[in-house]
Amino acid sequence: MTARITQSMLTQTMLADLNRVEDRLQKTHEQMSTGKQLNRPSDDPYAVGRAIQLQSELASNKQYQQNVQDAQSWQTATSTALMNIGSDVLTARNLVVQGATGTMNQSDLNAIASQINQLIDSIKTSANTQYQGQYVFSGTATTTAPYTLGVTDTYNGNAVTTQREIGPGIQVSLNTIGQNVIGDGTTGLIQSLRQIATDLTSGNTAALQTTDLQALDAANDTITSAQAAAGASQNRLQSALSRLQQGEQLTTQVLSNTEDADMAQVMVDASQESAVLQAALQSGATIIQPSLLDFLH
Amino acid sequence: MPISTFLGLETTLRGILAQQQALDTTGHNIANANTVGYTRQEAVLQASPAFTPAVGPGQIGTGVDVATYQRARDDFIDIQVRAQTMRQSYSQATSDGLSQVETALNEPSSSGLQSLLGNYWASWQNVVNSPQDVPTREALAQSAASLADGFNTLSTQLSTITSQTAQSVTDTVSQVNTLGTQIAQLTQSITEAEQIGVQPNDLLDQRDNLIDQLSGLANISVTQGNLGSITVSIGGATFVNGATANTLSESGGVFTMTAAGPPVTTSTASITSGKLAGLVALRDTTLPGYQTTLDGIASALITKTNTQHALGFDLSGAAGGQFFTGTSASTIAVAPAILANPSTIAASSVTGQAGNSANALAIADLQSTATVGSATIDDAYSAFVTQVGADSAAAKQTLSNSTALVQTMENQRQSVSGVSLNEEMARLLQYQRGFQASARALTAMDDMISQLISNTGKVGL
Repeated sequence: MTARITQSMLTQTMLADLNRVEDRLQKTHEQMSTGKQLNRPSDDPYAVGRAIQLQSELASNKQYQQNVQDAQSWQTATSTALMNIGSDVLTARNLVVQGATGTMNQSDLNAIASQINQLIDSIKTSANTQYQGQYVFSGTATTTAPYTLGVTDTYNGNAVTTQREIGPGIQVSLNTIGQNVIGDGTTGLIQSLRQIATDLTSGNTAALQTTDLQALDAANDTITSAQAAAGASQNRLQSALSRLQQGEQLTTQVLSNTEDADMAQVMVDASQESAVLQAALQSGATIIQPSLLDFLH
Repeated sequence: MPISTFLGLETTLRGILAQQQALDTTGHNIANANTVGYTRQEAVLQASPAFTPAVGPGQIGTGVDVATYQRARDDFIDIQVRAQTMRQSYSQATSDGLSQVETALNEPSSSGLQSLLGNYWASWQNVVNSPQDVPTREALAQSAASLADGFNTLSTQLSTITSQTAQSVTDTVSQVNTLGTQIAQLTQSITEAEQIGVQPNDLLDQRDNLIDQLSGLANISVTQGNLGSITVSIGGATFVNGATANTLSESGGVFTMTAAGPPVTTSTASITSGKLAGLVALRDTTLPGYQTTLDGIASALITKTNTQHALGFDLSGAAGGQFFTGTSASTIAVAPAILANPSTIAASSVTGQAGNSANALAIADLQSTATVGSATIDDAYSAFVTQVGADSAAAKQTLSNSTALVQTMENQRQSVSGVSLNEEMARLLQYQRGFQASARALTAMDDMISQLISNTGKVGL
């Protein structure tokens, strides 16, 4: 015995099937208009969890890149200042050599001495370089200028290094301590230059030829190694940046694979489901209409 | 006893009447073809008791009677439909509630909580880069405030959904009670009709319809009694007994059935399926669970940040105070002192060093530290979203399955009880012909009797 089929069964079944087709079509349209296959957590819970983590990684990556670029600018300011100091030291050295020849008279030596004093101020000005309002050579006392121009040679900053984060758990120390590079009134480059000025004004050419020149060369070495350190830091930052950029590309790729809809596939699906809907509507109309009433008179 | 002359008249008259009643039933079916819950009726024709004449062979038939108006109903299919309806209503309630939670979460998107967390951690890094810069600190205070707002909003929305669910529970319980009263009233009428030997088909249809509705609300079982009386129990507790309906009430997840009495007795109903069970599970287990998880994340953020912040020093050299106030997702906020004056953000690890951002770096590193149990804050939130998504997807799947099953069982029921217009049309023709034939036969008999009465014995007159 076959089952009875009633009109309401046909209608209900047709409506239920149409509902299913339209539901699929609606999902496909949603993917088309948002461009994403994940529009709510229940679309694919584990993929959504993964997508959220990837977005977080991407945001961190971009921030690290920003940190690196900020650090690079800082180091550029440092390197430029060191370069200027270096050229000032070279000028000073030439002056000392001139004065040490013994062919100059005292007034000439005095003139050289005042030039040396000018150079000290120039060096201090370079040491007072700022990057975005922070004095780069002051340690962590970035609101205080490391040196005051004129006769006071004290170092006003501190010796604390600052750290920047350039990757997950990867930190670099950033700053060059001014006192370590050019010293202050009691030691280092500044002290050597003051001594040179004194020796010039007192006409002590013997000292100029020996100890002063040696001290100046030693100070120059300090500057050179500071420049090398800054250069090495720049290299490290640059390779960190490249790594981060590669990482950004990769993460973006994986994120796109996870959450973006394959537009070509979606369009094919949409046209296919539209066709199915058309067919379902047409056949539904054909099935539910005729009944015996049409044929009885 | 000899056969009466007028037996034929009576026989054909019975034929006419029976066909007419059958036609009336068919008309009733056609009229109710689209009535919800209608069960088709059939006039069952039965030959009326034969008559044994004293003279002559055997028995002679005496026509046809309508024995009963048969209601085409399969009780077993009813049980199956109701069982599937319970499951479907449960998953419908669950799925609806969880869809609302998903909408509130708004993930994955660029405006969800994950995005706010990302901005917050990035703002700390910016302060690490420029600790003495007040606008950068201002930006940090703002993004922290946005994050706190995000937590507040999500928590509030979860609370709103919870209280809406609680309201739905109350509404559904009163719906149950209303249905119970109606069923009891119908049972009263049905029993009265059955007592005088009549089967009230349409009342039975109405009552079955109400029981179907009730099965969507809670897990019920129905037992047939005598004379059309039934007993409906909800979760093991008697709800409708004959013509008396008890009252269901709910408090704190416990359902109590109160008998009207006297004496007034109470019993516990164990609601495990249907809309009520779904709503209560949402209100008492699922939603509070989500709220607790969210609170855990917020509270870890608050305590760990504040602990680290207190170890640092701000721009004026003072030790760090509270960064976040509050204890949960609904109460988290940035400390007013920080918002009013961002230089009080303790970025430095040593007092008096404006360029020292070691403490800010330590706070920024909380992003990759296990702060919520063994997970980072970001991972804990991601796991939370995944859990909501998985719960919602499971509910949708169950809903889809059970809807299909309800559809199948409903079709089976329609197959037995539904009105097929084609069938009724054919029957219409059948009974119409039967009526016409009986009327014809009646005319023939009438002619014959008229012949007998009028013309017999008139010889030559």
